[in-house]
Amino acid sequence: MTDKADNFEVLMKQALHGDQRAYADLLRATSHFLRPFLAKRLSFTNEVEDLLQEILISIHKARHTYDGNRSYKPWVYAIAKFRLQDYLRAHYSDQLHHAIELSDVEESLSEHVTETAINYESISGEVQKLPEKQATILQLMHQEGYTAKEVAEKMGMNESAVKVAAHRAYKVLRNKLER
Amino acid sequence: MDNIEELIAKLAQDEETVQPAPHPFMLSLKWMGWAVVYLFLSLMLSGLRPDLMLKLHEPWFDTEIAALACIFVSTSLSAALLSFPDMHQMRRLTFLPMIAFVLFVLVMFFAWQAENPHAPLPIHSFECTVSITLFALLPAGWTFYAMHKFASTHYHWAGSSALLSAFSVGALWLRLHEINDSITHVVEWHYLPMIAFGIAGLWLGKKILKW
Repeated sequence: MTDKADNFEVLMKQALHGDQRAYADLLRATSHFLRPFLAKRLSFTNEVEDLLQEILISIHKARHTYDGNRSYKPWVYAIAKFRLQDYLRAHYSDQLHHAIELSDVEESLSEHVTETAINYESISGEVQKLPEKQATILQLMHQEGYTAKEVAEKMGMNESAVKVAAHRAYKVLRNKLER
Repeated sequence: MDNIEELIAKLAQDEETVQPAPHPFMLSLKWMGWAVVYLFLSLMLSGLRPDLMLKLHEPWFDTEIAALACIFVSTSLSAALLSFPDMHQMRRLTFLPMIAFVLFVLVMFFAWQAENPHAPLPIHSFECTVSITLFALLPAGWTFYAMHKFASTHYHWAGSSALLSAFSVGALWLRLHEINDSITHVVEWHYLPMIAFGIAGLWLGKKILKW
């Protein structure tokens, strides 16, 4: 175990002196112990491989900050954690970006479905069967395009009463249409 | 897997003799050395405060200068350690500036209490902050330039330490140059701005030291 641990430091010292074979061996050994570390923290194999490549490049760039006189693994893990955090930060901010785009799409999709599948005309027969006040409110809001506030002014009601009446009407209509 | 092998082969091919970075102690000593030379030269040009010899006989003034020097040393050391990905495996030493700051706050509090009656406030105010800032530009520049060549994984704190180190030299210079006995003034226009710049260093570190 100790021999193996010493090996990393020795290999790195040789690598810093320009030994290409020692450097290749060291990077190979490093990728062996980093792969399970990354696999535990990432879901997909391709993510692990991509990040492992980034970490190896970072090790290469930062190799002058290692002198071979202290443990090699803590130095490597510091770089690996740093790159992992960077990767996860970018990944989640990207996901959030997509989530916003999806919500936009969802909105437009629901509008589209309502317009084609169920519109006021297709259920006007059912609307007429509602109590007079509820039917008038729905007619004004959905056929003539008034807002709840405008309907309230027109009918001498307050806005929240209009919204409550409209909500009750929707409930009745939904029950009838679901049957 | 093949990509990794390919990459390893390519990186190994590029490998040549690399000069390892100096030990962080040596690095910070070098930065501090340059800063001290810069401080001496600046004091030679701008002049020492005429009452300095008298002031050096005041224990609270001496303690304040010593505490400020502690901030300078600890932040320089911390900046050097934070330039390494693993902090050269001396993580605990990077917390030294916190101890120095606690000490400094205590010193300033007791110095303010000991100031009886309180010294009159000087007529100038923000000019001191501007002077310290201008003075600190050069050490801040060279420290950031030097740190940029390393690989900090804690670039926020590294930036903050570097700026605090540079501004503490600026604060030292002004305290040794300006005739001013008001603790309230030095806290308000010398030390609080220094801490504010330390906070700004968190942002600057990310901008400059990210790799």
